[in-house]
Amino acid sequence: MKAKGKIGLLLLIVALLLSACGGESGEKAEGSKGKEEKVKLTIWHNFAGDDLRAKTVRSFIDQYKQDHPNVELDAQAIPPDGYRQRLSTVAAANEMPDLFFVYAGSHSSELYNAKLLQPVTEALDAHPEWRDKFLPGAFDAYKFEADQVYSVPLGMSATSILYYNTSLFEKYNVKVPTTWDEMMTAIKVFNENKITPIALGNKAPWVAQSTIIGSLADRVTGTDWFKNAVAQKDAKFTDPQFVEALGYFKELVDNKAFQEGANSIDNTQAEQYFIQGNAAMMISGAWTLTNLAASATEEQMKAIDVTVLPAIPGGKGDPNTITGGAGGGLALSSRTEGKAKEAALELIYAVSGPEAQKAIAESNSMVMYDTEIDQAKVTSLYYKAFNLVKKTGITPVYDAYLSADAADVINNGLQEIMMGGTPESVAQKVQDAQARSVTP
Amino acid sequence: MPTALRSKGFIAVALLPALLLFLMFVIVPVFWSAYYGFFSWKGFGAASFIGLDNYREMFQDGIFWRALRNNLILVASSIIGQIPIALLLALLLLKNTLFSRFVRSAVFMPMVLSTVVVGLIWGYIYQTQFGLANTVLRMIGLESWTRAWLSDPQVNMLAISIPINWSNVGPYLVIFIAALQNISPEVDDAAKIDGAVGWRKLLYVTLPMIWGTVVVTLVLCISGSLKAFDHVIVMTGGGPARSTELLATYMYNSTFDVYRYGYGSAVSTMIILISALLIGINYILTRQKSG
Repeated sequence: MKAKGKIGLLLLIVALLLSACGGESGEKAEGSKGKEEKVKLTIWHNFAGDDLRAKTVRSFIDQYKQDHPNVELDAQAIPPDGYRQRLSTVAAANEMPDLFFVYAGSHSSELYNAKLLQPVTEALDAHPEWRDKFLPGAFDAYKFEADQVYSVPLGMSATSILYYNTSLFEKYNVKVPTTWDEMMTAIKVFNENKITPIALGNKAPWVAQSTIIGSLADRVTGTDWFKNAVAQKDAKFTDPQFVEALGYFKELVDNKAFQEGANSIDNTQAEQYFIQGNAAMMISGAWTLTNLAASATEEQMKAIDVTVLPAIPGGKGDPNTITGGAGGGLALSSRTEGKAKEAALELIYAVSGPEAQKAIAESNSMVMYDTEIDQAKVTSLYYKAFNLVKKTGITPVYDAYLSADAADVINNGLQEIMMGGTPESVAQKVQDAQARSVTP
Repeated sequence: MPTALRSKGFIAVALLPALLLFLMFVIVPVFWSAYYGFFSWKGFGAASFIGLDNYREMFQDGIFWRALRNNLILVASSIIGQIPIALLLALLLLKNTLFSRFVRSAVFMPMVLSTVVVGLIWGYIYQTQFGLANTVLRMIGLESWTRAWLSDPQVNMLAISIPINWSNVGPYLVIFIAALQNISPEVDDAAKIDGAVGWRKLLYVTLPMIWGTVVVTLVLCISGSLKAFDHVIVMTGGGPARSTELLATYMYNSTFDVYRYGYGSAVSTMIILISALLIGINYILTRQKSG
């Protein structure tokens, strides 16, 4: 009896499925009989999460779907962890979707070199009022050819914001450092009062590089020197100015600016250490805003303010800067043509246009776009950082420009300096690694 | 026992599925990866044949030797730590009382925990400011002994080897208990009549009886320590400044952090060769002892 019942159920399900399929194909046939043929468009992106930003971006894609009934949009949200691998797999098979999310830096430039991308400049030129409101340098990472832009950034990475605890600064009557001397005084006073001056979680060794040395070195050497050194043209990482920059980092270490054991805790633990008032400052990226928004109370966050790293005496770089750059954006496959291309360019505008940029900014996530945000919609700390970043210049993050090999070497080199290594030997190793990858 | 089970043909057929899977997912990749070891390859794009250059570079790289030294420290600590402790506990907990069963499960428990969990727990224990280790030291007035356990290159390999030993004692304990229970009571009785008790019995009766098991645990210990990876990657990631790098983390970092798949393959082939060498040495040494 039981078995018979099961078979019956199975048959029923199969029948239902078949009828469902039939219905759909019927509809399709009707659709294609209509005036214009449906345009097929595929998009892959990594806004798969449950966070506010991912939801915001997805809502704009859904909106586009509704507004364009003539476009048959196949949107795939792939979790960030496996996203790059999935994309490289289809890239190898030359089966790229029409539109796909790419990261700024080596990811997009490799795809460009493999001739898988085509410019999206048309979309920008169609809306000049939109194009002109992007922050300076927003397209730098995507200008693989003069006058051609290959992607429109959906976000911004800012990696060296100086967070400080105002109540600790008031309590010990310390001035928020704007010069290197003031920084050293602040470190001394906090250490005397058994407060960690700067919280650092450098277990994953990119942290000190991404948040501190990029900004610090840029203030000493200037951006041009760094770009030349990356290209190994007329500048080397063994040049005195870079050794000097590493020396400033060593000065922080020698003056016990960081808590003991900074190399064995991770960035999130350091954030907690800082927000709980154990440390007076923390140098970290915009990701800390998102993490704190999720884990800290509004009261804890009220005490925190943000600024840029202090100026270095006699430095060549502009001190009113933060390391960072354009975030990822949508890129267009080189094989997409005709109607599909038109639809794709419209979709780019829909997802990264003025409204979308504002909505993304209001999901506590930085954008490369000059927009006003509603203060009530974001955390107070994010609002402060948002306004800070608007007023500051952007300088390159080291590991976005260095070869993977040299980035690995400088990451470990900074840990080495924290353990007593010398700036000279670290500078030499970085130079060797970068030279090796530039001239194979 | 039915004769079907004894026939060689049936055994072969029964083993075939597992053997095929093993061949496909373990043996073939080992040779495949050895083959990649002769190339300069970024993981995608063209690979170029460079002969033994990867191996030459490896032998000149100080970090490779540091990783090997760290691995040997782990091998030594596990042979000195895990096996004697497991054997001692096995001798003490042989009786099947409630208490000994409780202790056995307690010792076995860390093995059941995911290694990531073990790594995280010990990461917190070693934490410099609020960690259990430093807090206890401060409480008993040994302030000067407090350390940044995982950052300080003087002590961090030692600090890492403790949780690895802690979490691996369990299975050896079970193996030893099984071996001890397999010694037939007649041997025990004979030993008693001959007046072998305490240390003498352990040294001349018990140990020789379970020597085969000891050799197996030694091999497991050596190969286990050489492929140690997960605890370290969770606790330190091989840092700071690569001071706790092991061969496996060195391989992983070369392959997946700096995208040198060819070099990483060469390192993993080297790990296999070193393991084979150490296990071979162990085999020769222990055979002489038992002979």
